[in-house]
Amino acid sequence: MAIRRLLIANRGEIAVRIIRACREMGIESVAVYSDVDAEAPHARLADMALPIGPAPALESYLAIGKLIDAAKSTACDAIHPGYGFLAENSAFAAACREAGVTFVGPSPALIDLMGSKTTARDAARAAGLPVVPGVTPSDQSNAAIERAAREVGFPVLLKAAAGGGGKGMRLVTDANGLDEAIDAARREAQSAFGDGTLYIESAIERPRHVEIQVFGDTHGRAVHLFERDCSVQRRHQKVIEESPSPALTPALRARMGDAAASLVRSVGYRNAGTVEFLLEGSGDDARFYFLEMNTRLQVEHPVTEAITGVDLVRAQLLEAAGEMLPWTQAQLTLRGHAIECRVYAEDPAAGFMPQAGRLLCYREPAMPGIRIDSGVAEGGEVSVFYDPLLAKLVASGETRAAAIDRAAAALRDFAILGIRTNIPFLLDVLADPRFRDGNIHTRFLDEETARLVEASRAVPPPDEAFAAAVAVLAGPSTGDQGRGTRDQPRDPWAMLNGWRN
Amino acid sequence: MAPKRFTVREGTDSRTVEVDAGGQVTVGDSDRRLAVTGLDRAEYEVSDGVRRRRVFVAGPPDAREVFLDGRVFRFEVTSTDQRRRKSSAAHADTMTAPMPGTVVKVLVEPGQQVRRGDILIKLEAMKMELPVRAPHDGSVKAIHCKEGELVQAGVRLLDLS
Repeated sequence: MAIRRLLIANRGEIAVRIIRACREMGIESVAVYSDVDAEAPHARLADMALPIGPAPALESYLAIGKLIDAAKSTACDAIHPGYGFLAENSAFAAACREAGVTFVGPSPALIDLMGSKTTARDAARAAGLPVVPGVTPSDQSNAAIERAAREVGFPVLLKAAAGGGGKGMRLVTDANGLDEAIDAARREAQSAFGDGTLYIESAIERPRHVEIQVFGDTHGRAVHLFERDCSVQRRHQKVIEESPSPALTPALRARMGDAAASLVRSVGYRNAGTVEFLLEGSGDDARFYFLEMNTRLQVEHPVTEAITGVDLVRAQLLEAAGEMLPWTQAQLTLRGHAIECRVYAEDPAAGFMPQAGRLLCYREPAMPGIRIDSGVAEGGEVSVFYDPLLAKLVASGETRAAAIDRAAAALRDFAILGIRTNIPFLLDVLADPRFRDGNIHTRFLDEETARLVEASRAVPPPDEAFAAAVAVLAGPSTGDQGRGTRDQPRDPWAMLNGWRN
Repeated sequence: MAPKRFTVREGTDSRTVEVDAGGQVTVGDSDRRLAVTGLDRAEYEVSDGVRRRRVFVAGPPDAREVFLDGRVFRFEVTSTDQRRRKSSAAHADTMTAPMPGTVVKVLVEPGQQVRRGDILIKLEAMKMELPVRAPHDGSVKAIHCKEGELVQAGVRLLDLS
């Protein structure tokens, strides 16, 4: 049954991305917004938009009852959860089903299966995939977690048993500081996923993070769409993702792809998912270990779209409507190279402190081979309530070097003022010889960040005189005459200030 | 008309910028004269006659943010005639919230001795924990926040002596 009206239970760039797919497919889109998002791009772009409560996510984007009510009151036949928030919450998927609304994603049972690290690992092992040693202690006291950590063997990673995305994750090298790490990880897990249960995993030193995009449908199709290398992470938060991985040979790619697809087949997975692996070594005999499966669309999905030419959100909506996947494994091919840079509102010079405030200037670069997915606009407010991701810049090129060059050129043309961003840091990473050689691992950024930030401070910026000249000559207070708010509609004439002629 | 002089400072770097009667700009002791043209709101073109650069600017006249080639400059601009020294507003021993967030944990009590680097308070913002650490050895004089409180940037959290 085709979807005619879709509620998007999310905000920011991913909500905008889904609205775009709806528009292309002739589906009416319904956005929801919290009080601080009333004028956010996703609320303005959708065909309809409903307020769902105050800024804290627990009272808006995580409020299952309000979202279901919004879908019912607008007669939506489906809900897309995006990523984060309720995307991997089986209670939400079940509530959709109960309300007679299609949930765009796998069944509640599959979300639960993959949502628990324990059952996910069992499922992976049953499908023949190698797994990293780890355990979720049934006794979650600090003492029991410490015993589990000793059994697994230091160094260990503490993770939120209920979710991914690096939230609540801590690397602990020995028993010292374990207590503090447990408390912090538990608090973060509780606030991000509403569940403070911790999972203890053996930390493989200097692995790569390589994940396989997969897709299944109810007609028995189970395919993989190659890999994404997400080894450039800062404290377990992905910063740069690319495909193909510089570490994979065709034989290894085939082995990992087949393993991921066999998991999809083995558990009867439907819709989009990602099977994450840790990769040790490189070349044909590198070892890979199943890490977890994300039962949703990923932030970095545009990388896969760029190298395969498919539209993953469109495929999600078709599959949710009961259609057969638009491609077979044999039809899927990989071409060229794509790299995604996450532009965050954070200050690299101040320990990557998240930034909040008004975007006084926000101009996206437009050039061939560049795709920008964003959920913010000039004049808009970046609030402390949500993820600091402003935009994803995805560059494609015929080779890895071409894609990197293109990404760097586009970032140098991405003018953002009013809020500090990590763009200077991204440029430093893209220029780093080891990154350009593809010789990196998941600890690369954590080990090199200080050096990269220092190095960029030491370089005297070229053409500083040009910038100083504008600082003196620009008109009076620039950037405050942006988009209006509900109470103060924008003055179209204010926009003319500073224009030529 | 006499040229106008400004001091443009970024961190510890300081330059003199001179604007002549025709609106041409000279920066430092450079012999290049720069022309500035407004293109769009917040967007300018700067040319020395050969090189041209597109530059974006925001902020009030005395505190400019300028974007050029992927870098952001934060300039303090003062006209040389009205140049004054700003007194440092913040007391050195007052710890303030670096950004808006929620106080999740207060780890010290008034009177407690702390060492440099000790975590005093934990804030949470954007689902991340931000530790507020002691900048030097000392003792806690007063605490101005409590656990669970939502604080704005710059709000006084704690006094250290």
